[in-house]
Amino acid sequence: MTRNLTCEELRDTGAELALGVLAGRERAEATAHLDRCAECREYIEQLALVGDGLLGLLPGTEPPAGFETRVARRLSQAAAARDGHVVARGVGKRRERSRRGIRLRIASAAAVLALGLGAGGWAVGMAIENVAAGPARPAQTVPNMLRADLTGAVAGHREAAGEIYAHPGSPPGSPGLVFMSVDLADAGIKYSGKVICLLQRSNGTTVRLGTFHMRGGDAYWGAPASVNLSTVSGVRLTAADGSALATAHFSGR
Amino acid sequence: MVFRNRQAIPWPGRTVYKGMQRLQLPVGRIPDEALLAGLATGDPELAVTFVRRFQHTVFGVAIAVTRDAQLAEDIAQQTFERAWRHAQVYDARRGSVTTWLTTIAHNLAIDAVRSRRPEPVAPEDLDALLDVVTETPEQRALADEASAALRAAVAALPREQGRALAMAGIYGMTAQQIADWENIPLGTAKTRIRTAMGKLRATLAAPGPTRTGPARPDHAPDHEPPDHPPPDPAAPTPDPPRPDPTSPKRGGHD
Repeated sequence: MTRNLTCEELRDTGAELALGVLAGRERAEATAHLDRCAECREYIEQLALVGDGLLGLLPGTEPPAGFETRVARRLSQAAAARDGHVVARGVGKRRERSRRGIRLRIASAAAVLALGLGAGGWAVGMAIENVAAGPARPAQTVPNMLRADLTGAVAGHREAAGEIYAHPGSPPGSPGLVFMSVDLADAGIKYSGKVICLLQRSNGTTVRLGTFHMRGGDAYWGAPASVNLSTVSGVRLTAADGSALATAHFSGR
Repeated sequence: MVFRNRQAIPWPGRTVYKGMQRLQLPVGRIPDEALLAGLATGDPELAVTFVRRFQHTVFGVAIAVTRDAQLAEDIAQQTFERAWRHAQVYDARRGSVTTWLTTIAHNLAIDAVRSRRPEPVAPEDLDALLDVVTETPEQRALADEASAALRAAVAALPREQGRALAMAGIYGMTAQQIADWENIPLGTAKTRIRTAMGKLRATLAAPGPTRTGPARPDHAPDHEPPDHPPPDPAAPTPDPPRPDPTSPKRGGHD
């Protein structure tokens, strides 16, 4: 049975709680207090920022040679394993946490990694070796990847509202992927709710790519794009009622 | 990145690019959040770019906590893998990608050290760490205003408070462990942590012009109350539960 802390008592242990070093009964009492005290939650969040800042003061250190190659290979192998063993599904609803879905995906990727992968994994490994070989290149590029600025649909003027990318898929023949970071708040749009993403084709038609949720004008999202990206001229984000939130037009068309 | 949304359009086949301008996008220009999302493509270029962009920071945290190069490399690698697997819980409103990765690496490193060593820190390492945190010319030059102010505030703490802060905030030691380590009462350890954190919080909350100035040295000894009530012997005192490394308490991605 935990005791009901006062705000003053919470502040005695708040620093330890924010740093993640409060244990046992004290931790339980503090978290129970936070469940019912918004002011103390705000206080703890401020202290947590201090903790983050403290870690940010640690000096960076270069890892041993070859580290990036080893890690990037594992990431790409995991992505390849996922694409080969899990039916590709939309990326959206990132805030809807289906723990079961996450566990299944992790299990799949981990199992394939444990088996060492097959030819696909080897191919990915070779690609990584090629990318990472030699000294860092100042301007790496992804062939055929499209990029465009998102602009907020603000009456009277158009404000920058993030960036959007259309990736053709790797290796060639794999599903493409559209991903974006959206910051409509800077454009004065603090929309919260469902967002519909429409791909606009050069011939004037549109394809619905998917939906995701936005909070306060902020979101980042991606989804497999099973359309020919060479025919895509832009992207339109709308609210659930169809009103425009932001648009993007890919260059080079 | 999670592929969960079954509303996605079925993939019709291989993409053919005819008459299309081949856009050579410098991946170095991709924002951190978009790069994290782009990891899901499996593109080797994006994966290398992501790792290359953050490895310096991630490995720096891992080596600072573990002081073991091999262990730090394992932790750094796990950090990137966890970030890839759990990118869907990243929330840009609650901190940068760098902060998120830093917190994952930190939690993993603390867990690794706890499982391997009875003592998380050696005295000489602690003092060296404090010196590095407060006096790194390279970092000072690159730091933003808030980091510079925080660094100055840490430097201005009485040494005993700085040590308590580093032991709790960087090495993940509980107040009881700090009390045992420093041979001080538990209440004194708690007070040092609380006082140090309070000073740093005030620094971050201060308006810019005040923040940028060097914090006033405060070398007065901390006059703690004699002690807090003794801990309940029935209360569990072992290592506190660390937050899930992929949904760290710090950084707020829970």
